[in-house]
Amino acid sequence: MAELNETIHQPVRLRIMAALVTLDPGNEVDFSYLRDLLQVTDGNLGAHLRKLEEAGYIAINKLFVERKPRTFVSVTTEGRKVFQEHVAALESILKKK
Amino acid sequence: MNISPSEAEEALAAIQKITQKTRHSIASSGAYIFLIITGIVWLVGFLSTQFLTGAIVAYIWIGISLLGSALSILLGSRLGPRVRGPSTAATAKRAGIFWLLLVLYGIAAVAIARPTDGKQVTMFVILFIMIGQLAMGLLLSFSSVWWALPITALALIGYFLLPGIFYLWMGVLGGGGMIALGLYIHSSW
Repeated sequence: MAELNETIHQPVRLRIMAALVTLDPGNEVDFSYLRDLLQVTDGNLGAHLRKLEEAGYIAINKLFVERKPRTFVSVTTEGRKVFQEHVAALESILKKK
Repeated sequence: MNISPSEAEEALAAIQKITQKTRHSIASSGAYIFLIITGIVWLVGFLSTQFLTGAIVAYIWIGISLLGSALSILLGSRLGPRVRGPSTAATAKRAGIFWLLLVLYGIAAVAIARPTDGKQVTMFVILFIMIGQLAMGLLLSFSSVWWALPITALALIGYFLLPGIFYLWMGVLGGGGMIALGLYIHSSW
């Protein structure tokens, strides 16, 4: 049976993961775009991304695009898997209601 | 970890909301800018066609189209890639080839049909652009399909029922509609 994931369940991290798993596998999203999408501050997003990266659920890719530093974020295979399990666990709680 | 059914329901609703917002946002990524610019080009171009005569109309169309294209390229490159990866690069390449081929097919259609007046040429251009938009929307995101249909309908109504004010109709409703839609997408998505 699928289990809830405490790291993912935090509201901001849940929304980060939901946004990232919407992308096609292998695609990554710009940090500032994700910040605007989720309507959070740079610091808040950065802190939650670090937590998710430490857990191995996301990958952070820092690079230069046209000589400007850019940060791109993507979900890992493990992250995609635990997010789907988390959603399944949420749905099973609702079914028991 | 234990949570109540209402908390689970809230979490699922939050997931659904952000998933939908992400899909909309990626599909419309930068589209509002191009809608607003195209709307301004149509508004200025069609109004000048309706109210002015002679070579000045052609110069206005050429000038405003070049300005619009340059502005679109500049703003598009300044926005930069928001989502990058193998699938987006392949999609962008396919979309680029599709639009290039559509332009060539459009030129061929106009050359064969040999439209006799400006209104017919305008309708050819509008119909081909809207076919392209519909194809892109159906392949990439349903959310960006719907607006091509009312603009096509407006153009057809103007062409068949209001030939005397066709350019005014297209400038105000077609161009103005695109500007309004671009502003709406920007504020709501």
